[in-house]
Parts: sequence; structure tokens; C-alpha cells
Amino acid sequence: MSTGYVAVQWSRHKRVYDASIAIGIALYLGAFVGVSKVLWQGAHGISDEVILIRALGSCAIVLLHVILCIGPLARLEPRFLPILYNRRHLGVITFLVALAHAMLAIGYYHGFGVLSPVRSLLTSNPNIDSFRAFPFELLGLGALAIMFLMAATSHDFWLRNLSASTWKRLHMLVYVAYGLLVGHVALGALQTDRGWIGPALMFVGLCTVSGLHIAAGLQEYRKDRGNPTTTPDAEEVTWVDVGAPNEIPIDRARTVCAPGGERIAVFSTGGTISAVTNICAHQGGPIGEGKVIDGCITCPWHGWQYRPQDGCSPPPFKEKIATYQVRIVSGRVQVSAKALPPGTPTTPVRIPGDMP
Amino acid sequence: MADSIALAILWTLATYGAAGFCFALAFVFRGIHCIDPAAEHAGLSFRIILLPGAAALWPILLRRWILAGAKP
Repeated sequence: MSTGYVAVQWSRHKRVYDASIAIGIALYLGAFVGVSKVLWQGAHGISDEVILIRALGSCAIVLLHVILCIGPLARLEPRFLPILYNRRHLGVITFLVALAHAMLAIGYYHGFGVLSPVRSLLTSNPNIDSFRAFPFELLGLGALAIMFLMAATSHDFWLRNLSASTWKRLHMLVYVAYGLLVGHVALGALQTDRGWIGPALMFVGLCTVSGLHIAAGLQEYRKDRGNPTTTPDAEEVTWVDVGAPNEIPIDRARTVCAPGGERIAVFSTGGTISAVTNICAHQGGPIGEGKVIDGCITCPWHGWQYRPQDGCSPPPFKEKIATYQVRIVSGRVQVSAKALPPGTPTTPVRIPGDMP
Repeated sequence: MADSIALAILWTLATYGAAGFCFALAFVFRGIHCIDPAAEHAGLSFRIILLPGAAALWPILLRRWILAGAKP
């Protein structure tokens, strides 16, 4: 949360995460180079530079698949949440690997002529109106530019100063980058190498990414449809049925969907029920999938905390999220569909029979 | 791609990037606290980390800096 900025908010978890990524990348590159040298020998031999270019390029593609799969995986299975926490570091590392691939490839294929390497890259293939002979390098450059923008704006400073919605839209461009990279690989490496392994792996990757997104989307859709709403009361406030008090897990939440589509996280903690928006003020993380730690609702994505009774972060932090009125009628918890302004205090409803 | 178009693209990018880099240096060391007071006492490594993004998005930040400076 924000009292002042630092370059990287290191924690033990982040160090382990980053070290694991670095070791994983080193092992992948080593294995790729080793296997390639064994497979491509003699008349079919490939230069070390080309092997390294392919190793770095394929590594960036694998990392991008991991990045795209983390979100839906964590939504489908909470055990994957720890790998979601530090996804921005993974994104920056993926950009650096892709940049190394691009620099090496441009230097190797375009660095020894009269023209400057980038000018040579842009002009060497004029078949811009052809599908199969399209200059696939341009697709890769486009993806690299998007990945640069995402890496360069990954710090919380940008999230706060570009506004959460703009930042989110900017970072949704990862799907455009992924599409460009699929084209880059399909029109480039997969056309050069006539084997079946490359296309098969790309197809499996594409199916995995899209399949996980569809499965996670369907799960959310079913959750939203399953929430019955009550009729408006005398004051024309719509109350959404949450369930019996004991159906909400202790120190956790049940998430319901208001008629307007906004999700509300209803928490049970300390024998009381309270409700806040399901959207974290930090990166829009799903607060309802978090838990109460030290009396504060804790977002599962990056650990931002809010007090259940007023949606305010504990001092010295100043973030606020919307709160909702809660009531218990005929043994059922109901939450008002109308959001209160962020930071509005509410009175948590005590669960009947639950002694303070 | 025709050489003239490639040259035009490269010159545009180089000019934008050079202007962005100059702006970014001034912004991260002088102007950043005008648009975000929380950055006023931030360290050198934080400012360096922001350089690439500030160079890329300099028109947005320049506008924000001017608007923040115009406020009483």
C-alpha cells in the first residue's frame, strides 16, 4: 500500500519467486541449447547464435503462456494464488528475454550490411501484401513494443497515476501481444522448420490459454447467475440474498452479484457480518477471495488490507473501498445492492447467538 | 516496406524517443512530486525504474505536469 514509493517492495516471497524464475529460465536455456546441439549435428548443424536466438524466443513464448494461464488458474483453483502475487516481475523478465531474442536476431541477420540493422529489418522483406511471405519480424516487433510498455509501466506509480482503468486497459494489450507472437512464430519459425513438434506445441499452448480462460469465465458466469435477489423494500433498496450466516466461512467471504452486475464480498469475522466491494483499490483484485488477517480484509493478489467496518486501509495507509449495508432477516443474510461511497463506516451485523 | 517509409518511421521514433528521454530525466528528478506527492522523497532506484515509462508516455506526463503546475 502507499505511504511512499520504493523501487521494488522486496519480501522473502518475492525473492524466492524471482530466484525460481531465474533458475527456471537458466535451466530451460541450457536444456534447449544442449538438446539442439545433440539433434543438429554435421550437415544439419546450426550455429550457436541461431540456437541461442531460438532458445530465447521459445523461452519468451513459454513465459508468456505461463503469464496468461496464471490468472484463470488462480480463479479456478486457489492453490495457484501464490504464483499470481508476483506476476508483474514475471512480465518484466519475459520482456527482457524477448528483448534479448530480438537484439540477437536483428544483430545476427541484419547487423553485417550497409544499412543500419533496424532499417535493414524494415526493408529487407517487401512482401507486406502476402500472407505466407509476410515479414513476420514486424509482428514480433509489435509484440515487443507492447511488452515494453507493460514492463515500463508495471510499477505501482503508474497504476496510481494513469488511473486503475487506464492501466488495466493498457495491460490487457498482453492479449494483442500474444496474438502477434502467435503470428510471428507461425509465419516465421514454424514455416522454416517443417517438423510437427513446433506447430503441435503452439496449438497445445493456444488451446490451454483459451481453454483456461473459457473455463474461468464460465465459472464466474455460473456464480453470478446463481445469486437470487430479493424485491425492493419500502425504501426502494434492493437487498441481495447471501445465505444463512453459517454458510459464510469464518474470516472469509461469500461473493454475491448485485442486479447491476457489481460483485459484493460479504465477510464473516469476529461473530459479525460486513460487506465491501469485491474490487481491490490496488489492481482490481478479487477481495472476496481473500481472508481476514489481523482484523483486516486482505486482498489475495498483493495483500492490500481494509477494515471490514469502513473499507479503509489501516493507518498510515489511505486507500478506501466501497462498503455495503448488511442485515439479517428471517435467518438469512442480506446485503444492500447500493454501494456506499468508499470509506463509509457501516455497523457490522452481529450473528444471532454468536456471543462477543 | 519502402526505404523512405522505413526511414520516416525510424526518424519519428528516434525523435520521439530522444525528446522522451530528455523529458523523463527532468520529470523523474524535478517534476514527479508535482503530480504525485508520495514520490517526493523516493530514492534514486525508484526514479531510475520510472525512466523508460516516462520516456514512452511523456506527452501524457507533460500534460499532467503542466496542469498540476497551473493549480494554485
